[in-house]
Amino acid sequence: MKLFVQYTRINFVAVLLVLLVASLCYYFLIRFVLIDQLDDSLRVEEQEILDNLHRKGTLPESTQYRDQQIRVSDTTLLFRRQFISDRAIGRFGKMRRIRRLIFPVSVRGGLYAVSVSKSQQEADELLGWIGLVTGGVVLLLFLALFLVNRLMVRRLWRPFYRILESVRQFTLAGRRSIAPVETSIDEFADLERSMQQMTARVLQDYESLKNFTENASHEMQTPLAIINSRLDLLIQDRHLEESQMKQLQIIYDATGRLTKLNQSLLLLTKIENNQFDRLVEVRLDRLIGDKMAQLEDLVSAKQLGLTVNTVPVSLEMDEYLAEILLGNLLNNAVRHNLAGGRIAVDLVHGGLRISNTYYPLGFDSSGIFDRFQKGDRSQGTGLGLAIVKQICDRYRFGIQYAYMEGQHVFTLSF
Amino acid sequence: MKVLIIEDEKVLGESIVAYLRGEDYLCELAETFSQALEKIETFQYDCILLDITLPGGSGLELLRELRANRSLDGVLMISARNSLEDKVKGLKLGADDYLPKPFHLSELGARVEAIIRRKQFQGNHVLRFNELSIDTQARTATVQDQPLVLTRKEYQLLLYFASNKGRVISRNALAEHLWGEDMDVADNYDFIYTHIKNLRRKMTQLGSEDYIQSIYGVGYKFGVR
Repeated sequence: MKLFVQYTRINFVAVLLVLLVASLCYYFLIRFVLIDQLDDSLRVEEQEILDNLHRKGTLPESTQYRDQQIRVSDTTLLFRRQFISDRAIGRFGKMRRIRRLIFPVSVRGGLYAVSVSKSQQEADELLGWIGLVTGGVVLLLFLALFLVNRLMVRRLWRPFYRILESVRQFTLAGRRSIAPVETSIDEFADLERSMQQMTARVLQDYESLKNFTENASHEMQTPLAIINSRLDLLIQDRHLEESQMKQLQIIYDATGRLTKLNQSLLLLTKIENNQFDRLVEVRLDRLIGDKMAQLEDLVSAKQLGLTVNTVPVSLEMDEYLAEILLGNLLNNAVRHNLAGGRIAVDLVHGGLRISNTYYPLGFDSSGIFDRFQKGDRSQGTGLGLAIVKQICDRYRFGIQYAYMEGQHVFTLSF
Repeated sequence: MKVLIIEDEKVLGESIVAYLRGEDYLCELAETFSQALEKIETFQYDCILLDITLPGGSGLELLRELRANRSLDGVLMISARNSLEDKVKGLKLGADDYLPKPFHLSELGARVEAIIRRKQFQGNHVLRFNELSIDTQARTATVQDQPLVLTRKEYQLLLYFASNKGRVISRNALAEHLWGEDMDVADNYDFIYTHIKNLRRKMTQLGSEDYIQSIYGVGYKFGVR
């Protein structure tokens, strides 16, 4: 539920309650005042009757004049003077509410009950009008609230939705903090400022992390070069025994892996940092030919059935990245393949598909482009496909992976 | 032949000196910008190995200095910042080749040999070793003037061996040289073995001595036994 719907709902209920209580108080107060007035005029009538009795010694006749009625009756019971609210049939035969004062009078030994009644109609009408006006005000108030919510609230919240939109569109790769939003509302200005600060900080952290990765990778090159060179020198020694040579080979291999890992990390960071921007026309079909020639030893050793269908396709991109992209995909297709398996490479305008036979992945395929995600059988760095993805993202190529009928299929669209 | 190694990482510089010295090169080591500047201003070298990041200045600056004065010294840039930009800048400034760290000394040896051959003999592109000669321009080889028909990889192997005579070359270095860095080295040991076996057979068939010697467990050595 939207904040302002909820807010409006609470507002409505509160306003309704207050108005209800207020109009009830209002009603009773006015009613009390009106009846008090009526009672006063009844008292005046009583006084007149009593004055008349003193002066003339007679009681008035029972009369009815307009909305006033006087009735005199004998009584044997002594009762207390009292005001009564009652109903009576009025002038036009309708039931009307009346106010009546009834008091005892004794005249020459006889006891009489005198009742003076006045119609409450005027007071009731007044109350009715007041009620009507109050109701109208309530309705008007609700209408105003409703309109304010419809028109104003939406406008008031506009900066909020703008901020939300720019937060949604914020990406690290975009390298821009969120766009400023003009607002005179303190809360939104605060929010906007905090979001800006946060995104700026995130970008800065991300930047320094990337720099760190790049620097760390660079710093590792020299020690690796030293290890490599010392190994190269060490194997020149004529006195080394076979067992020692074997140990050296293991060190060689491990150093080689470390070097490759390091270079892959460096490459990833460099692609992220857009350090490859030498755009040239790259002929993909030729590049595929070159790469397959490089892999021919492995292809023939594994006795892979190779189907390569290409048409001349050229793309504008960095040549080195194009080499890496195709190299990684084709290397994988050859390396992760069964003896006697198959590879199919189809290059058409706008797309490239590389498929190869191999065991199923063994992990969730949605993570196939993640860093260091690799199958149990893989000897690679686990960065090859992450680099592929990075290059595709860089040039807005689409890349999809699927496992179908025993085949791993990578589909590139550009 | 005189080679100047400009490398601030002493241990690495010494390794290079030790490796190249065996190849009949006269090696000198400079560890700082000023040392290097002094040496290149005073002496002439057949090849200069130039590290780009140096204490006291950039290797590219030295290269500019060098090319401003005279242009005969061969220059091989080495750099820990494997950046295309440095490479392009260096080659534009007149460096002959570029080798990113980390590298195998045999790779360095082959590059140095190629630079010196080109520089010293003014475009001489034939490399000779006893009855064997390799034409690096035509990419052909002969044994006692009979053509040695080689595949591309076999030719690359032979040239690499001949540029690192008498040195043990690791299989890792060979694999990297033949297949580049983006290949998994371990995959290729068997292929190296096959290519070498074929190369050896082709050479000895033409009456060449068998110069390729297996060093058990790690690699091969090319030279007179």
